[in-house]
Amino acid sequence: MTPTIIVEKLSKTYQVPEREGGFGAAVRSFFKRKYKDVKAVQEVNFSIAQGEVVGFLGPNGAGKTTTLKMLSGLLHPTGGKASVLGFTPWELKPEYLRAMTLVMGQRNRLSWDIPAADSFLLNQAIYRIPDDQYKQTYKELDELLELEPLMKKPVRNLSLGERMKCEIAAGLLHRPRVLFLDEPTIGLDITGQVRIREFLREYNKRTGATILLTSHYMADVTALCERIIIIHQGQLKYDGGITDLSHKIAPFKLIGVMLTDADSHDLSKYGTQVRNEEDADKKYIQVKAGDVTRITSQLLADLPVHDITITDPPIEDVIEQAFNQ
Amino acid sequence: MHTLKLLSSFFKVNVQMSLAYRADTIVNILLNLMWLGWELLSLNIIFSNTSTLGGWGFGELIALLGVFRLVNTIMMAIIWPNTEKFNQSIRDGSMDYTILQPVNSMFLVTFSRITVWRIWDLILAITLMVVGINMSGDTTTALHILTFMLLATTGTIVIYSLWIVLIALTFWFTKFDNNVTILHALLDSGRYPATVYPVWLRIIVTFIVPIAVATTIPLQALRGELNSGQVLGFFLVGVVSFLLATRVWKAGLKRYSGASS
Repeated sequence: MTPTIIVEKLSKTYQVPEREGGFGAAVRSFFKRKYKDVKAVQEVNFSIAQGEVVGFLGPNGAGKTTTLKMLSGLLHPTGGKASVLGFTPWELKPEYLRAMTLVMGQRNRLSWDIPAADSFLLNQAIYRIPDDQYKQTYKELDELLELEPLMKKPVRNLSLGERMKCEIAAGLLHRPRVLFLDEPTIGLDITGQVRIREFLREYNKRTGATILLTSHYMADVTALCERIIIIHQGQLKYDGGITDLSHKIAPFKLIGVMLTDADSHDLSKYGTQVRNEEDADKKYIQVKAGDVTRITSQLLADLPVHDITITDPPIEDVIEQAFNQ
Repeated sequence: MHTLKLLSSFFKVNVQMSLAYRADTIVNILLNLMWLGWELLSLNIIFSNTSTLGGWGFGELIALLGVFRLVNTIMMAIIWPNTEKFNQSIRDGSMDYTILQPVNSMFLVTFSRITVWRIWDLILAITLMVVGINMSGDTTTALHILTFMLLATTGTIVIYSLWIVLIALTFWFTKFDNNVTILHALLDSGRYPATVYPVWLRIIVTFIVPIAVATTIPLQALRGELNSGQVLGFFLVGVVSFLLATRVWKAGLKRYSGASS
């Protein structure tokens, strides 16, 4: 069977205006602009079979979003080929647009001033969804995402998490067969994230839809994807099973401790000290996954520990680390 | 058929949106009525000194005011809000979603916002036109009225095309918020008949800037002042400008998909 998504030597180079800092440089650049080529994606190859759920990972600026945008048809590549459901995405054929969806966690498609229900109906008209199919799809989405209580409030009055649920639902009303999801769970609470995951798994199981998603949350990827593709500096670095990857590059855990007098203790003998910007109150050390129990009990015995947490390192950090080695 | 259904969906959503802010809507209706009063007053001041303006009588000027207000209504009800949304969507990236909808993007960008309470304005504009035509005497025939309607539609298409070109430039410049200000400045001079202006200015106004096409020319057709060649000529101008605008829009979209990140 032909794969649903085929990508061959796909490349994208941007021209970005560039200038030195300073007033004189700003004036000069107004008259004569210098451009620099940025190779966002370089000759990437992969193919995805129908019904696969694939995690698309890489540090910020790796080219994930650029690739997703090319596959959804928003961007013309500078080189290479891509085929999704037999269509060339950037030709933007209506049949193609009705068969796929792109959900970007950071963008809004719902109108701010009116309840999501009204925007949904507009989408129904735009995608020409028959009434009975619309009702059926809405019912299923409601079951999984608990949309009903959110439907009556103007979107501007929803919380971030509630709005995301509606955004995702809006992108799925036309029952797309291929889903491109760029950070679909960003900003959702844990229950919300789990619900989206369960929903995506269920959607994938029932409809056989193909899903390619990026996420900052390792749990999204581990829960949903058997296969991941890693891209770094525009180049494909890894394409394969997730279990192989975690053996290879994520055998670490982060231990965070809050101490009574933080500055007087040296943690470096327990493991590599790392910074965590989100939680500056705690000190973090990175240890091998197998050593977690031993080092934790050691810490608790040796130091005045107030609070202790054990977490997976952020996926972006792990990947960054693995490929910078 | 689907286009009509979409338009009615857009209209419904826009009614819903405008009802979300009551005070805003009420204030806008009041402002609009005051503005109309001002227009009529200023015409009255002109006519208390002269009985005609550039060879046009009072009734004809009322009709011209009606046509002008029709153009103005389109401007305020369609062009302004959609351009505002368009400029914003380029900046915040929601243009991406617009492009990925299975509907002609030019249609989507130009009609998804409608300032619905301007419907009163539309009624006023049509009333002015009808009253003006009645006041100007019994010179009109059914053919003249038909030609008038054809050329008024043509004029609207010319303005639409000009607008498309202006907003499509945003695809190249990324930031070009003055696009509608330019269009508005061009159209504002159409409030008085083109014959008021000196010849050189009239030429610019008629051929370089097609405001007269939208206001004066349809009215001249109503007065039976145009021959069939001229009517056909203006009609062709409309067709050609629309085709050109579609080209520019497509090139703009291509530019967008080549340059954005």
